Amino acid sequence: MLHASKKSLLEYLATRTIMYFATIFSGITLTYLLVKAMPVDAVENIIFGLTQTVAGVYDPQSINKLREDLYEIFGLTGKSPLEDYLIFIRRVFTFNFGPSFISFPTPAFELVLRRLPWTIGLLSVSTAITWITGNLLGTIAGYFRTRKFTKVLESIAISLYPVPYYIMALILMLLFAFLIPIFPLGGGISVIPESLNLELILNIIWHSLLPALSLILPGALGWSFLSSRTLTLEVLSEDYTRYAEFRGLPGKHVLRRYVLRNILVPQVTVLALSLGGIFSGALLTEVIFAYPGVGSLAYRAAFAGDINTLMAVLILSMVAVSTAIYLLDLLYPLVDPRIRYR
Amino acid sequence: MPSLSFLKSIGKNFIFLYKSNFKFRLGFTLILILFILGFTVSPFSPTSTRTWYAVPRDRPPSPEYLLGTSSMGRDVFWELCASIGKSLTIALITAMIASHIGLFIGLISGIRGGLLDRFLMFVSDTFIIVPGFLLLIVVISIIKSWITIPLLGAIISIVSWPWPARQVRSMVLSLRERTFVYTAKLSGMRTSKVLLFEIMPYVLGWHLVNFTNTILFSIGTESGLAIFGLSILGDNTLGVMLYWALNYYALFRGIWWWITAPIVTLVLIFISFYLISIGLSEHLHRIIG
Repeated sequence: MLHASKKSLLEYLATRTIMYFATIFSGITLTYLLVKAMPVDAVENIIFGLTQTVAGVYDPQSINKLREDLYEIFGLTGKSPLEDYLIFIRRVFTFNFGPSFISFPTPAFELVLRRLPWTIGLLSVSTAITWITGNLLGTIAGYFRTRKFTKVLESIAISLYPVPYYIMALILMLLFAFLIPIFPLGGGISVIPESLNLELILNIIWHSLLPALSLILPGALGWSFLSSRTLTLEVLSEDYTRYAEFRGLPGKHVLRRYVLRNILVPQVTVLALSLGGIFSGALLTEVIFAYPGVGSLAYRAAFAGDINTLMAVLILSMVAVSTAIYLLDLLYPLVDPRIRYR
Repeated sequence: MPSLSFLKSIGKNFIFLYKSNFKFRLGFTLILILFILGFTVSPFSPTSTRTWYAVPRDRPPSPEYLLGTSSMGRDVFWELCASIGKSLTIALITAMIASHIGLFIGLISGIRGGLLDRFLMFVSDTFIIVPGFLLLIVVISIIKSWITIPLLGAIISIVSWPWPARQVRSMVLSLRERTFVYTAKLSGMRTSKVLLFEIMPYVLGWHLVNFTNTILFSIGTESGLAIFGLSILGDNTLGVMLYWALNYYALFRGIWWWITAPIVTLVLIFISFYLISIGLSEHLHRIIG
């Protein structure tokens, strides 16, 4: 029996791993198809815009090199479509997106890699807080569905849920930075660090508070709260929960062992499906608070028409988000007491 | 006439919904006001909302300039009205395209099943997992100079069809197992007819919910893109208004009326469309189950 379940777990891991790579691969293919569908003179347009804005920075030779790079990325080399596609795939898997335009000789890939820890740090902490508080609040609200505070929480959730993260960021900015000026308005740190010490870490956390709050509020009181409340109501109407109540088990026990335990699994799925949206939202929050993450980089790149850097941001973000979802998938066997993985 | 009775039933449902559901009533009234501001009131603007320095700059709200004027010399109230109209137009275009693609793919996927279903759902999952906003950023930065309002609406639909598709598919899957569909199939009805007369009536209500949600998504995406400077910066949309207000540091220079106007309007739009959407789904849950 033990042996059998071990084997099925391995099978589960194998399918998930295959799915993980398949998703990344199809994401890259999707990007290729979209870029390929762009008008033909797009490349010339980009190069023209570039020579207009920073004239004299590039010598003709590097512009020619750039043109070749872009033609390869856009699949315009004049070879067969399959070859174009293979060239694109090879570039992606060797992380070769060409030089960035915004800080010219530096490869776009390196530029993104430097910013990625900031974004991942902000996102992982705020998403974890969102998920935990949202689930707890939602479960409690579902359990005490007739209380007054539940109604208040529900009205707040309904008005927060549809509001995008960046609008929340702007509202928080209006409130905290302007009317009650206690938080720093932007940036990741206020001093250039010489070495990593406690003061620096506190400084980073202090600067991340407002961006994190603008991600947590609409999440914890929005999607996470609403979906866990709905799930709680469903679990409460199940026979096994009724039975537990009829047996006279204390409410706390029912809540923890019967309700919370059973909503965790679908809530992991909800989280996995929301990650892409959260990531997109975080990009804008970063721009608004001038937080030095991938979003701010994408903003500068979009402003300068730096397509290489944008491509690097897109592909790396895809990899980051699918990796996060993959890791969440691996959590399933830990949180789910019911399913024996086939 | 079947079409007349169809219209009658829509009207009856609407009146019932409007009377019985507070959320729907509130959302619908707010949206109606916004539509009137955006489409009926905005053409009466006394000054151009697109030229620079049409009115004195940086004036606070007053009887003459209801919501003040911006640093670009535009009357904020009239710019806001024009922006509401344009933003809603973009959103409606997206909703028309994306929710119908979603409906079509969801129906095919649900009714056919098998390999086609798996393929379509794999593609839509990819779209859901990939940060769609970044995809749009890449696409729009490439064609920045050609972009128009209908085109922007169409481009946003690239990433907004998967949710409706998944929703419709799961509807079809559950409907497929119901007795009346079995009865229809066993009595020899063709699949296309089963789809049209047995399944569609149930899906249509949810299609409307998806339509509303897509509008929400599109308005949010447009304003987000605009903050990146990737909207039609020469035109008036709510996002473009935000972009210029942020770019001119309206907040730090104390010109709060300029930046508050689009923010409050956007929040109102989001909440009211969301209220309509949940009002509709509550109603559908009650009448269909």
